[in-house]
Amino acid sequence: MNADPQASGARATARLFGRVRALVAALSALLLGAMPASAAPGDDPLRSIMWTEMKAQFFADEPVVFDERVKVQVPRVVEDQAQVPITADARALDGVKKLVVFADLNPIQHVATLDVMKASPFIALRMKVEQATPVRAAAQTADGVWHIGSVFLDAAGGGCSAPAMARKDADWSQTLGHAQGKLYRELDGSVRVRFRVRHPMDTGLARDNTPSFFIEKLDLRSEQGEQLATLDLREPVSEDPTLTVLVRMPLNDSVLTILGRDNQGEEYRSIIPASWRQSATSDPPARNAE
Amino acid sequence: MKTWKWFATASALALSLTVAQPSLADVSIDDIVKDAETTGDVVSNGLGPQGQRYSALKTVNTGNVAGLVPAWAMSLGGEKMRGQETQPLVKDGVMYITGSYSRAWAIDTKTGREIWQYDARLPEGILPCCDVINRGGALIKDKFIFGTLDAKLVALDAKTGKVVWTKKIDDFKAGYSYTAAPLVVPSEKHGPLIVTGVSGGEFGIVGRIEARKADDGELVWSRPTIEGHMGTLNGKESTMTGKKNATWPGDLWQTGGGATWLGGTYDPETKLIFMGTGNPAPWNSHMRPGDNLYSCSRLALDPETGEIKWHFQTTPNDGWDFDGVNEVVSFDLNGTKAAATADRNGYFYVLNRENGKFIGGYPFVKNISWAKGLDKDGRPIYVPENRPGNPTKSKDGKKGDSIFAVPSFLGGKNWMPIAYSKDTKLFYIPSNEWGMDLWNEPVTYKKGAAYLGAGFTIKPIFDDHIGSLKAMDPATGEVKWEYKNRAPLWGGILTTGGGLVFFGTPEGDLKAMDAASGKELWAFNTGSGIVGSPVTWEQDGEQFISVVSGWGGAVPLWGGEVAKTVAHLNQGGMVWTFKLPKQTAQKN
Repeated sequence: MNADPQASGARATARLFGRVRALVAALSALLLGAMPASAAPGDDPLRSIMWTEMKAQFFADEPVVFDERVKVQVPRVVEDQAQVPITADARALDGVKKLVVFADLNPIQHVATLDVMKASPFIALRMKVEQATPVRAAAQTADGVWHIGSVFLDAAGGGCSAPAMARKDADWSQTLGHAQGKLYRELDGSVRVRFRVRHPMDTGLARDNTPSFFIEKLDLRSEQGEQLATLDLREPVSEDPTLTVLVRMPLNDSVLTILGRDNQGEEYRSIIPASWRQSATSDPPARNAE
Repeated sequence: MKTWKWFATASALALSLTVAQPSLADVSIDDIVKDAETTGDVVSNGLGPQGQRYSALKTVNTGNVAGLVPAWAMSLGGEKMRGQETQPLVKDGVMYITGSYSRAWAIDTKTGREIWQYDARLPEGILPCCDVINRGGALIKDKFIFGTLDAKLVALDAKTGKVVWTKKIDDFKAGYSYTAAPLVVPSEKHGPLIVTGVSGGEFGIVGRIEARKADDGELVWSRPTIEGHMGTLNGKESTMTGKKNATWPGDLWQTGGGATWLGGTYDPETKLIFMGTGNPAPWNSHMRPGDNLYSCSRLALDPETGEIKWHFQTTPNDGWDFDGVNEVVSFDLNGTKAAATADRNGYFYVLNRENGKFIGGYPFVKNISWAKGLDKDGRPIYVPENRPGNPTKSKDGKKGDSIFAVPSFLGGKNWMPIAYSKDTKLFYIPSNEWGMDLWNEPVTYKKGAAYLGAGFTIKPIFDDHIGSLKAMDPATGEVKWEYKNRAPLWGGILTTGGGLVFFGTPEGDLKAMDAASGKELWAFNTGSGIVGSPVTWEQDGEQFISVVSGWGGAVPLWGGEVAKTVAHLNQGGMVWTFKLPKQTAQKN
């Protein structure tokens, strides 16, 4: 039985094109290495219509590459659009200075930025989503290059325009800034900080006209007051933010201090004891404005 | 502005395309102290800390005001349209205003476009007595500072609207709030100070005056207004206000009222802060025999220490809710350093502002019933039977005899500020002609609950009008002219070197009157009631006049029979700015 020459030719052509594509890809990689400034819309693995806009908003003219070593984890099924757990992890890269989390199709795209300092380039939090959207983590390494990991989150809508649960609670202002947290020693010597702070985190987009009201800064300090990491949060972070970060704190420290400030100028301070054995609840925070 | 020459030669088309960002200089304490003399800006409440609300500008005058037209208008938006009692501030081409529900804006004065907006996130359960209003902010250095309905003071970056610092004045759950425009005064020891009071007079709070550093909001001194309470200075107890139990029986002074809810004025000549104090609590005066100092008083305070330099009490042992909070306006009375104030109780007082001595007092509303007049020291000569009856002497002990008193508890004049013209030497007083049925009931104090011990209804005393704008000669008390308005007046007055008096009505009109004759020369309907205070300033050779329109405040909430004159008025929230068309301005 004779082989179909045409089919064979087509396969050969396909192989050839395949090689050409590989060559182009290799050349692109080379070019990226030399001049790593192009992550055109076509380069986005998720083909997001918002990519060009996102690139301009978050990275301006800085070099950007898509990099699978930056991992974003989201649930396969979203149960509550106002509380979607996500994890951004760039620990596979060395020398990460900053880790930015954003979602292309949210009305407010920026979710959080971790200024790494003495932390690992890792953050876990819960966020609101207004519709199905790419969720991205961008890690900037010491050479200034942004490494982007992306995942598509499938979700029903409405997380950003629904009023906070606090709206139904006449006493939310009395528990504002109250915090709970726990520290865990990791095998590599770093400390995992799990932390929750009471705050409505209003987006300002809700149907009930509530103004935007959110914690915009968290500052993690060692017992001696040394800055370990800072976090910028934005409106999409879920009500009563629940966060996990990994920091390297001095071995003998018995407490970790978290300083916070919201966009209305209220300041918060929570102390998490490092008991290493039992969970502990911090005292109600001293509110600066009182 | 540096670019003014360019503007002057530019064509109208080029102007409309210009989006030059105004260059913002900091507001110095000197700018504030001299605000009354500078016509290019408005950097204090009252167009000068003396509170005269007079601008020397005369580009717009009696001859051409009829040609005044809107330059722009801006909506305050949202679903939060309630009473807009603010007075705009203007500096370097930017207007700063506050609005209902503790909001604030910066607006480009050329285009009316918003530069930033700040919305306070208010907790549930705020307890404002009289609508969700705000009466304006203060500018100092690079900050815009205003108070919120949950009793906080918020300092915003004037360029961005971002919060620089916030300070809690007191617990909103106990009835505190803050709605007055903060006062900025100089001090030698502490630098510029932000001086504020407290609101919440009907909830049994104790009034006080506080001074904070402008940079970080740190408290410098605090002065309670009710005798027996201790003041503070630099974090330590300073001196007691008055003498405990001198004019108060038992422990009622502990919840004695005297709320300082209207803010104050400052006189650079005597270096004194003038602040008025509210009614004593509760309303039922039979529970608290005595003068009840320093309720219903004007206090003069030393900015360095918060010590009371003099006081003048307008209604001792008040039984009619005649708060003494109304603004004290410094002026020159034939060479005497005088100050004048138009009280809730219907009398206009002229005092020596160096020592608080009474110079003269005159009724500015008609048919005053609770007093026959004032004695030589300015103390009221009471009509005893016009004080509501003692409930403990009634048959069932639950309701005392009801009386009809004039003026009503909303006052011959309420919060809306008066103005003084250096040219006509007249005061312009927005007053209201109304009375009230009033009776007393027993009451006990409960935190966060209204602490009145009284019931009331308000009634007009004339068929055709309640509102009455009067021009009064402070030397004689003579009323030179009167303008009558159907609905109660609730907005402030502005007077100018152009011989004009500007004010708004609940019916929505911004009006311009001849300051000498009272003749109405111009009116424009802003679409909702005006309860704010107009301002004027000069920019690039043109004179602008602005007012914020938006009906609300205490009248629709407490108005009784008065509601008939205002029930049809709709809410709003709009900044209106007026000027003369270029050709009209050149003609005069």
